[in-house]
Amino acid sequence: MATIEHAGHSYDVDEDGFLTKGMEEWNEGWVEYVKSLEGISDLTDEHWKVINALQDYYKKNGIAPMVRILSKTTGYPLKRIYELFPSGPGKGACKMAGLPKPTGCV
Amino acid sequence: MGYDPQNPMVDRITDIGPPHYEQFLPPVIKKNFGKWLYHEIAQPGVLMHKAESGDECWTVRVGAARLISIEHIREICEIADKHCNGCVRWTTRNNVEFMVDSKAKVQPLLDDLKSRGNKFPVGATGASVSNIVHTQGWVHCHTPATDASGVVKAVMDELFDYFTSMTLPAQVRVALACCLNMCGAVHASDIAILGIHRKPPMIDHDAISGLCELPLAIAACPLGAVKPAKETNSKGEEVKSVKVTAERCMFCGNCYTMCPAMPLADPEGDGIAILVGGKVSNSRSMPKFSKLVIPFLPNNTPRWPETVAAVKNILETYAKHARKYERLGEWAERIGWEKFFELTGIPFTIKSVDDYRLAYDTWRTSTQFKFTSHIK
Repeated sequence: MATIEHAGHSYDVDEDGFLTKGMEEWNEGWVEYVKSLEGISDLTDEHWKVINALQDYYKKNGIAPMVRILSKTTGYPLKRIYELFPSGPGKGACKMAGLPKPTGCV
Repeated sequence: MGYDPQNPMVDRITDIGPPHYEQFLPPVIKKNFGKWLYHEIAQPGVLMHKAESGDECWTVRVGAARLISIEHIREICEIADKHCNGCVRWTTRNNVEFMVDSKAKVQPLLDDLKSRGNKFPVGATGASVSNIVHTQGWVHCHTPATDASGVVKAVMDELFDYFTSMTLPAQVRVALACCLNMCGAVHASDIAILGIHRKPPMIDHDAISGLCELPLAIAACPLGAVKPAKETNSKGEEVKSVKVTAERCMFCGNCYTMCPAMPLADPEGDGIAILVGGKVSNSRSMPKFSKLVIPFLPNNTPRWPETVAAVKNILETYAKHARKYERLGEWAERIGWEKFFELTGIPFTIKSVDDYRLAYDTWRTSTQFKFTSHIK
């Protein structure tokens, strides 16, 4: 496990760059930091809509939403989500939102 | 331009799929595509396909370890360049096939393959033991209960004569999976080697709430043994975690697949189960699932002698008793499973009696059975 320093904050991350303590350590500085890794030049309201949708769903249900639910709540088709987050909803958006790393046969 | 990490989407090529296979067909196959009349197995590992045009395609099948280096692939390419106009293919059991367009070219190819030591054993056709379909094991996976490559090497060394000959009643498919995710063909193979655990998961209460989506771990359990619970971490704080009812757990490891804070691998607990009697073809009888006959054999590295002996015993007992064309599962069902256990000398244990949901259909609702050595 490693610790990342960014803009005066420190974050515990795993080898894939996901927050190991989850949303406990998450703040806006984390989003700024991940942005630079994920090839996103400008954070728009659309990005924030996805991040907020993920966080709200996670707080309420304890899991990340299925891709279909994310599309339905944000109104963005999967194609648009990939345009916003080139690494996709799991590796890109969930990482930025401070959700746990996706598991299973991925 | 090379990849630019600052602008990952610039010059990015995507969704192009695999190249069309037609580009790589040998000329004789391209010419006679869809126009084959019949085929023959000339000798173990050598096939001849006859086309309507009178053309012949001779195929030499050789074993491969599946996990191979680029050097080895280059050597395969070198052989293909020398004998086969640069064309070569892999089979669905990870054997390698070299194709030539006349009988005269077969012997030089066989001689060349033979001159390279045991790198390219010719065989795996007809009623033989072909390659073992297997998985990652300790080479690359995080959920295995046994190794893949090591066990496969140990078993194939012992069964090598069956790879290079065609002396069995029918083909015997051996498969291995290192956990009961069963990647590959374990659930439908004549003889299946399966990695299993025998201890429940250990729960890391310090990490679980940050690392895991708890409802996923709970829903992953086929027996409802995982429940949400408030637990205490090493600092004495109360955290959201899960509790595993050990008496309900059958050690499948699904919860660890979903939740990294629930590991269950254990050197003494883990080992191998043997299943037999599966098939996928529709010839004669319908496809069958393989069934558990040996519940546990230890992980005895690096040669797994117990597993090798068990597989060999099952194979040779089948070879001795089955009729021509009869697959292992067909044989066991014809003679009755009680006779299968008697002939192979495998002790029947309670672990072979199904107790999962639809178990009732697998019990015997008949007075038809044979008295065997198991009935005292």
